[in-house]
Amino acid sequence: MDETLDQLRAAALAELDAADGEQAVEAVRVKYLGRAGSISALSEGMKSLGKEDKPRIGKLLNEVRAQVTAAIDARKAALQEARDSAAVAGLDTTLPGVPVLRGALHPMTLLLDRAVAIFRRMGFALADGPDIEDEWHCFDALNTPADHPARNEQDTFYLPDGRLLRTQTSTIQVRTMAAQRPPVRIIGPGAAYRRDEIDATHLSQFTQMEGLYVDEGVTLADLKGTVEFFFRELLGPNAEVRFRPHFFPFTEPSFEIDIKAPALGGDRWLELAGCGMVDPAVFESINQRRGDNAYDPETVSGWAFGFGLERLAMIISSVPDIRYFIENDLRFLEQFR
Amino acid sequence: MKVSLTWLREFVELPPTTQELVNLLTLAGVEVEEVIQRGVDIPHVVVAQVLESTQHPNADRLSVCKVECGQPQPAQIVCGAKNYKVGDKVALALPGAVLPGDFKIKVGKLRGVESEGMMCSAKELGLGEGHEGLLILPPDAPIGAPLSSLFPADTILDLEITPNRPDLLSHYGIAREIAALRGVALAPSPARHASPTVATGARVTIHAAGLCPFYSARRIRGVTVGPSPDWLRNRIESIGIRSINNIVDVTNLVMMEMGQPLHAFDEARLDEGEIHVRQAQAGESFQALDGKTYTLTPDDLVIADARAASAIAGVMGGEHSGVTSATRDILVESALFNSQSVRRTSRRLGLASDSSYRFERGIDPAGVLAASDRATGLIIELAGGIAEPEIETAGSLPDTSRKVPLRSSRVSAILGVEIPEPRIDSILTRFGLATQPDKSWLIPSFRLDLTREADLIEEIARAYGIENIPGSVRGSPAPSSPADSMHDMHMEIRRRLAGQGFFEARTFSLISPLQTRGILPDRYDPKDEMVIHLRNPLVSDQSQLRATLIPGLLAALDRNLRADARSIRLFEIGRIYLAGREPEERVHLAAILTGDAIAASWVNTAPRHADLFDMKGVIQGLGIESLDFVPLPPDATGAKGLLSPVGITIAGQDAGVLGLLRPAAVRALDCPTPVAIFEIDLSAARLPGAPSRIAPIARFPAVTRDIAIIAPQSLAHAEIERAVRAANEPLLTGIQLFDQFSDPTGNRLPAGQKSLAYSLTYRSAERTLTADEVNAAHARLKERLKASLSVSFRE
Repeated sequence: MDETLDQLRAAALAELDAADGEQAVEAVRVKYLGRAGSISALSEGMKSLGKEDKPRIGKLLNEVRAQVTAAIDARKAALQEARDSAAVAGLDTTLPGVPVLRGALHPMTLLLDRAVAIFRRMGFALADGPDIEDEWHCFDALNTPADHPARNEQDTFYLPDGRLLRTQTSTIQVRTMAAQRPPVRIIGPGAAYRRDEIDATHLSQFTQMEGLYVDEGVTLADLKGTVEFFFRELLGPNAEVRFRPHFFPFTEPSFEIDIKAPALGGDRWLELAGCGMVDPAVFESINQRRGDNAYDPETVSGWAFGFGLERLAMIISSVPDIRYFIENDLRFLEQFR
Repeated sequence: MKVSLTWLREFVELPPTTQELVNLLTLAGVEVEEVIQRGVDIPHVVVAQVLESTQHPNADRLSVCKVECGQPQPAQIVCGAKNYKVGDKVALALPGAVLPGDFKIKVGKLRGVESEGMMCSAKELGLGEGHEGLLILPPDAPIGAPLSSLFPADTILDLEITPNRPDLLSHYGIAREIAALRGVALAPSPARHASPTVATGARVTIHAAGLCPFYSARRIRGVTVGPSPDWLRNRIESIGIRSINNIVDVTNLVMMEMGQPLHAFDEARLDEGEIHVRQAQAGESFQALDGKTYTLTPDDLVIADARAASAIAGVMGGEHSGVTSATRDILVESALFNSQSVRRTSRRLGLASDSSYRFERGIDPAGVLAASDRATGLIIELAGGIAEPEIETAGSLPDTSRKVPLRSSRVSAILGVEIPEPRIDSILTRFGLATQPDKSWLIPSFRLDLTREADLIEEIARAYGIENIPGSVRGSPAPSSPADSMHDMHMEIRRRLAGQGFFEARTFSLISPLQTRGILPDRYDPKDEMVIHLRNPLVSDQSQLRATLIPGLLAALDRNLRADARSIRLFEIGRIYLAGREPEERVHLAAILTGDAIAASWVNTAPRHADLFDMKGVIQGLGIESLDFVPLPPDATGAKGLLSPVGITIAGQDAGVLGLLRPAAVRALDCPTPVAIFEIDLSAARLPGAPSRIAPIARFPAVTRDIAIIAPQSLAHAEIERAVRAANEPLLTGIQLFDQFSDPTGNRLPAGQKSLAYSLTYRSAERTLTADEVNAAHARLKERLKASLSVSFRE
């Protein structure tokens, strides 16, 4: 009996090895494990065994049955596996992926949002103001003399009622201080307008960002540190920042900010921003409008800065013509995906 | 303003190199826009005369010259130029010379013939672009003389002077600043007499004291007008002023030296020799030195004789009274004019001059008579003549002396660095300020800009150097503002749209009324009373503020179509402007969609065209809270010009519209596919935050049953959905449309009917539903729908 079982096992396994299809495997199963199969027949023969042989032969029989069953399953799985692989054999996996529609934010938005994120890290909040302004917010409050050239019809867009399109986002400083007591720690991005012919380097509408910090004990050293931090975050740790004394009616002292950075393509100082300590005359105008002395120049001090985003974006991405930013040509916009 | 370094050196010792000077000025707030080299400063370049010129034996284009150059033997030079003749004086670079571009001159053979130097063009010597031929020198140029004697070398800086520093608008002023910054000595003023003799002139009258506080006239008789000597011509030409004659050149020289504009009149042309400083008469006509005729108003100040205007005060002299070669007697004006008046006149007439530029910014009263005196001296030296002993004057020089207090505590409070008092004192003293016993500072007359403590602190910062102030970042964080929330929401909407394949556009707020006329749906073609027009547009196509973003997007669409783009998805978030008692600004979102509904690729070579429902899905995908759609009749106000207009509401309030451009408009754009557009006012838009309580996750399985409803074409999906929800079937948890069709042929469905197939989801939160329970609920629902909508069901 033992011998017969061993032979059956060997035969079954050998036949399985040779089985090259589902049907062949099934035939092996029927031949050995089917109702009339050889192993099943031996199980029937158990009845005739003596008491002493029964447990041993029974155990052996179960063993052989399990082995053959496992071998059948394994063979079936292997055949299935082979069929699965064959089904995709030769697939050219270098074919391109199925494209997903993906648009992009405008480069000005991307730059603006980066700038906002950096200033938020330093605890600045956003502030806002209208594009349509009056002369007080755009000029008077900012200590701009009544006959200053910027107020000219040649340079500034006016509405029929005497209002104007703001020539700088500094109006946001004025609006914020008029509405809120110190401390003020804000940035104000937005559109500004100048009556300029549009060409490769000029737009009549452009984007600026304004910053203002007013509190007790605010100093030029804070301004310097903040501006340096901002530009190094934006343009990399190797960005060099230079403050060059300048003149603006609304700050005293005033500086222009020059940047030299590998991200800006090299070793030239590029004039990118203006800044300074808020002129006491601006505080006086605000106090007058507020009807209080919240911005007493003897108690509080502050600084302000402003920069144009288009010029910065042009340099960062080597954009040859500022008009690219308003033409909305997909061949340009797609490059910012 | 251009300054010559040679000229500056007469007053102050400059740093050893130009670059150091440029850095010094730049970091002191005087921006150097350009550094221009003038003249020749190259050793071994000399004047030579061509003695003979013969054809080169081996080269058609070359000649071999013998030139006399002050050496014992004439030199042999091979030359390619043709523009000279024998006898001409030329510039010869001898061996050892190094021309611009590090071009070293050596003895060498050119096509086999030895050349002992090179005859040069103006360009090769760095004397400007000129033509390519040799530089031909004047016949009297001395042979052998270094070329630098004919073209003295100089460096010219083109400076940008900020409007608060009129005291820097002269060579002496710049020299004074350099001396203060470097702490070196400054030469005394070039004026001969600190206070020349003056007398109230009987023939000089000011009739408008507010516009002219002070006027002075110096009469010089018997001058000989002629060309200026070389030094004078070179000097003013080096800073870009054209040489006219010795008299005019002197007035310009003194202006550029001392900052005081002067004017010389031909005295014989002044009726009665009189000077009247008066307002112009309305319509008074005046022919200026530029040859143009200007019509004046009483707002303009003129210098007139007994009869007519001879000059526009501070701006330009007149053709009639100008100094010419026939002039014998002259009158030199040195005056103070009101800066605003000069600015107004200059701007109104579109006439600017070096003089008006200086008067507009402000003049040092202490320099008026000194300049007159300096000019008089130079004129007599160069043109002869005899000056009247006294300067005739009218009005008085304003006393601008003032004291400005300064607290050292404020210096450190503003600058954020402790600067010791002796340092502060030394800085201010160098700038010409004088300390007073009461701790205030006496300001010199030329510093019109120093009036307040803040101004003195600026001077200290400038001289101390901001590079010496260590930066710090300090300050408590500000709480976020409504503008922060808006920014974040707009950024999130932008990103969601980009995730749906849209590109962000930025278009101008200023648009043309004609830009899209006939294309815009009436909602986007706002009535004139809604539109804000500019009073002074620069160009007609930017004459009004947009009341909608759609015209800009259509222009962008047009541009991209012309560039052969076919699938175009653009959006913009931007301000729109509405007229009213107070102008109103709102932030709108608009988008435009045409072309493929999904990206074309090798798996889907011909995707269907995007349509209204793609755009509707885009809007829904934004996730704006309480946003809904309401169908609009095709002729609804605000929807004309749109095919299939759909109103957009936020929290039940009208917020925008969605639709397809009418085919005529699409054809006008030459666009091959339908164009879907929408615009939403974002004022009321909100994106949901985290839910305050989430719905529990269902623990028991759901059962779905499909239902196909046959309904009249007029019955809207929304009504069916509403009826299903109105049935309040407790086990129903979801309804989804999965198919929709109608059949115009009437084969599958009667014409005028449509089929809508829905998948309904039933579920209980407490138990697994049995088939019987679901069947019963489904049957109930069908009965309700049949009754409420009079529809039938396809089985």
